[in-house]
Amino acid sequence: MGGLTRKHHRLAAALGPYVALAPVLGLLSVFLYLPLIFDVIYSTHEWSSLSPTWRYVGLGNFQGLLADPLFWQSLRGNILYAAVSLVFQVAFALMLAAILESGLLRIRWSGFFRIAFFLPSIMPITVIGLLWQILYQPDVGLIDQALKAVGLGAYAHAWLGEEATVLPAIIAVSQWQWTGYLTVLFIVAIRGIPRELYEAAEIDGARAWRKFWHITVPGVSETTVLMTLITIFGAIKVFDIVWVMTAGGPNNASDVLGSYMYRSAFRDDRVGYASAIAVVMFVLCSIVGGLQLRWSQRRSL
Amino acid sequence: MSATRAPRGRIRLSGPDAGAFLLLALLSVMTIYPLFWLLLNSLKSSNDLFEQSWALPRTWHWENYPHAWRFGLGHFMANSVLITTVSVTGIVLLSALAAFVLVTRRFRFRGALHAAILGGLIVPPEVSLFPLFKIMLVLGIYNTYFAMILPDIAYGLPFTVLLLRAYMTLIPAEIAEAATIDGAGLLRCFWSIYLPLARPALAAAALVQGMRVWNEFVFALTFVGSNSLRPLTVGLTTFGDSLNTNWPVLLAGLVISIVPVITAFLLMQRQFMGGLTTGALK
Repeated sequence: MGGLTRKHHRLAAALGPYVALAPVLGLLSVFLYLPLIFDVIYSTHEWSSLSPTWRYVGLGNFQGLLADPLFWQSLRGNILYAAVSLVFQVAFALMLAAILESGLLRIRWSGFFRIAFFLPSIMPITVIGLLWQILYQPDVGLIDQALKAVGLGAYAHAWLGEEATVLPAIIAVSQWQWTGYLTVLFIVAIRGIPRELYEAAEIDGARAWRKFWHITVPGVSETTVLMTLITIFGAIKVFDIVWVMTAGGPNNASDVLGSYMYRSAFRDDRVGYASAIAVVMFVLCSIVGGLQLRWSQRRSL
Repeated sequence: MSATRAPRGRIRLSGPDAGAFLLLALLSVMTIYPLFWLLLNSLKSSNDLFEQSWALPRTWHWENYPHAWRFGLGHFMANSVLITTVSVTGIVLLSALAAFVLVTRRFRFRGALHAAILGGLIVPPEVSLFPLFKIMLVLGIYNTYFAMILPDIAYGLPFTVLLLRAYMTLIPAEIAEAATIDGAGLLRCFWSIYLPLARPALAAAALVQGMRVWNEFVFALTFVGSNSLRPLTVGLTTFGDSLNTNWPVLLAGLVISIVPVITAFLLMQRQFMGGLTTGALK
């Protein structure tokens, strides 16, 4: 009897790992990797899903992008989003984390601030979007009312209704939402720095700023690189906050690549063109994300 | 965590320290006040909100909450609970099984398959929405719960496998070897040894993914057309339209929709932070 069962067992043991990985690999293939292949195929075609047009155009859609002012304007939106986010969510968040961990505050206060700053990052994007739409309302919204209350009524705006203010206003909401999240990640990194370094510096009489600059900043440099990459990655793919707040308007003034792509695909029915934008987004993402993966791999060695 | 670090004394309000404290206080007001404003104005009448949105309600309109609930919020919330429960269960179980074999078994292509899973970390769903939409149509699941649950699971897997694998490598390999000698098969070794031992990591993963799926917006916006299937995130946007700018009731709806997330976060802060900082991805 033994022979067959043993063979059977050995076969099962050999196949086991593949069977165990199959659901994960299957789901990733169908919902992560297959769409990327479709993106590339669609992007080389002129196609709208309503009409039967399906015409190979090679790199035509990409040439179209290069000549499309709205594409460049959207890309500028992503770049502005990235730049502001780097200032607040990396540089400023690191400083905040250093202050919270400096021992300046009692534990209870530092815990309170940490939670307070973190809270917006766990809120659904529609709640954030709808809330800030109301806060940004001209006249009745909190922002304009606060400006008037302190005598700065001249600076009141229809923040989301004016082309000059709409993108900065949306970017500001993202800073409000995410700075605390990155602060917490920096706090974890700072806790990994050996205490002795700070103690030695204190014996030498170093001031807070010197300790920050000479111990904290070098001590968390790996995390800083990672956060920088994550922030840029997030700025390339940003879509939901823009879509919820303005859908790219007014007059495309708040468009980023993600909103321009979504509108092209689902509203203007220019699927090939939208897929070309998606390919550009993915290439940018994979450059930044690839660096990120390599960096974290190196760190874990 | 760091009880020895901060001084026991009072806050020293002098010079740069006072400046730092004031900065923190100001920032926390800026962060918290909009949420407080939300709570406050959800209890007002429409006129009251327009006339003085910063003040306390003239009369407290508690009925805004049952009103919001009856307006369809209860149904959206049930959908959110269903989608989140199924997705998180799927993500955690499938990821744990994958992490388990990656850690304990040696087999051909292990490195390549591992890389194929981790590669998913750099694929943002945003770039794949139209192809995904087509795939949903072809699979015949457009406008069903599966159109949200399956991508919710798929995009949660890479990060969760990373997190659970990191934790499982800390479990001594002898445990798995001893069980194998005792004749335990792969599934039994997974189910009765690794799964219980990895419980802290499973909890952290479930929390992080639970938050992500609960807040998921783009799939629900794109792959579902009927209101009866929508979760809170997308439901709230249609809710706003149909309420015809009865803002206090909309605000009450917003408050209701964030209560579960905030409660879960405050109760399980430590696990949550632990889960986030392992892989550090938003």
